[in-house]
Amino acid sequence: MKLEDIARELGLTELTPKVTGNSEADIERGYASDLLSDVLAHAPAGGVLVTLQVHLNVIAVASHAELAAVIFAGDRRPDDEVCGKANAEGVSLFVSPADTFDVVGRLYALGVKGNHA
Amino acid sequence: MTPPAIVRRALAEGLGMIAICDHNSARNAAAVQEAAGTRLAVLAGMEITTLEECHVVALFPDAEAARAAGAEVGATLGQVDDGYQEFFGEQHVLAADGSERARETLALATATTLDVDAAVRLVHGHGGLAIAAHIDRRSFGVTSQLGLFPADAGFDAVELSRHVAPGSPIEAEFAVHGLPFVHSSDAHYQGDIGAARTAVHCERATFAELALALAGARGRSVGDA
Repeated sequence: MKLEDIARELGLTELTPKVTGNSEADIERGYASDLLSDVLAHAPAGGVLVTLQVHLNVIAVASHAELAAVIFAGDRRPDDEVCGKANAEGVSLFVSPADTFDVVGRLYALGVKGNHA
Repeated sequence: MTPPAIVRRALAEGLGMIAICDHNSARNAAAVQEAAGTRLAVLAGMEITTLEECHVVALFPDAEAARAAGAEVGATLGQVDDGYQEFFGEQHVLAADGSERARETLALATATTLDVDAAVRLVHGHGGLAIAAHIDRRSFGVTSQLGLFPADAGFDAVELSRHVAPGSPIEAEFAVHGLPFVHSSDAHYQGDIGAARTAVHCERATFAELALALAGARGRSVGDA
């Protein structure tokens, strides 16, 4: 499913409108974790990450893992420095008021799968 | 882990200096310093749990600086509730003789709202040393939580747990940005005191000398020379 369609279906708020390269991207895989070392090791390239971790490192890790987007759950919002870095790195950031479990469940229902599907 | 028991155990283990680093609190440090008297150097510190659930070991020049820093950290914590107490038990503030002086009602085992950078700044703001705790462990270490070591945070040293022997090949894997290693027991129980230790080459067992040793300044150093 296209990232922009996912964002619409899940009612996500976009934090990085300047990042346009990902909206048409077809998102097939996702990962959920709040430990960035774990994300670094396991997140699937081209996928979407669902996390509570708003530390600046999430952008470096997302970039390194070649993620298309990060969805912050539980209405957790990264600060301006993080959004700026995301713009620079071409990582799309979104926020959902729903908690991680619900966000992941809804992504899964839309056809976005994990590493072991 | 009463102050007299901690001091007794540390001396039996041949330690010259210890630091009291309760989670998110420095309220017990002065009592241990008093119990130790001149027999053992005791630094006042605390282990801060950051917003990202990283542990930051803070060591302060004296108990008053630690207390002030502790108050700032405490201001970001909530109060204990029944569920918390059922799981964690009572949080005792003890006197030098081990008797109970007060109960702490802040939920010390929870994360503060300070991110890693803010926690290090807070520690430095009170004249303290900020050490990235047990970076070899898979939980609560800055590397496990943040993926990559936060080089810009301003840490004075990195800490390795008892599971990494000083000078071992594994130790070299954790070398980050030229920061010195400290090895700590992170003792939560009496029996763990002395399970790990750091060799500090300095003139006397004081905070100021430790700071010089970590900075590698004026001929002081840590680890095997």
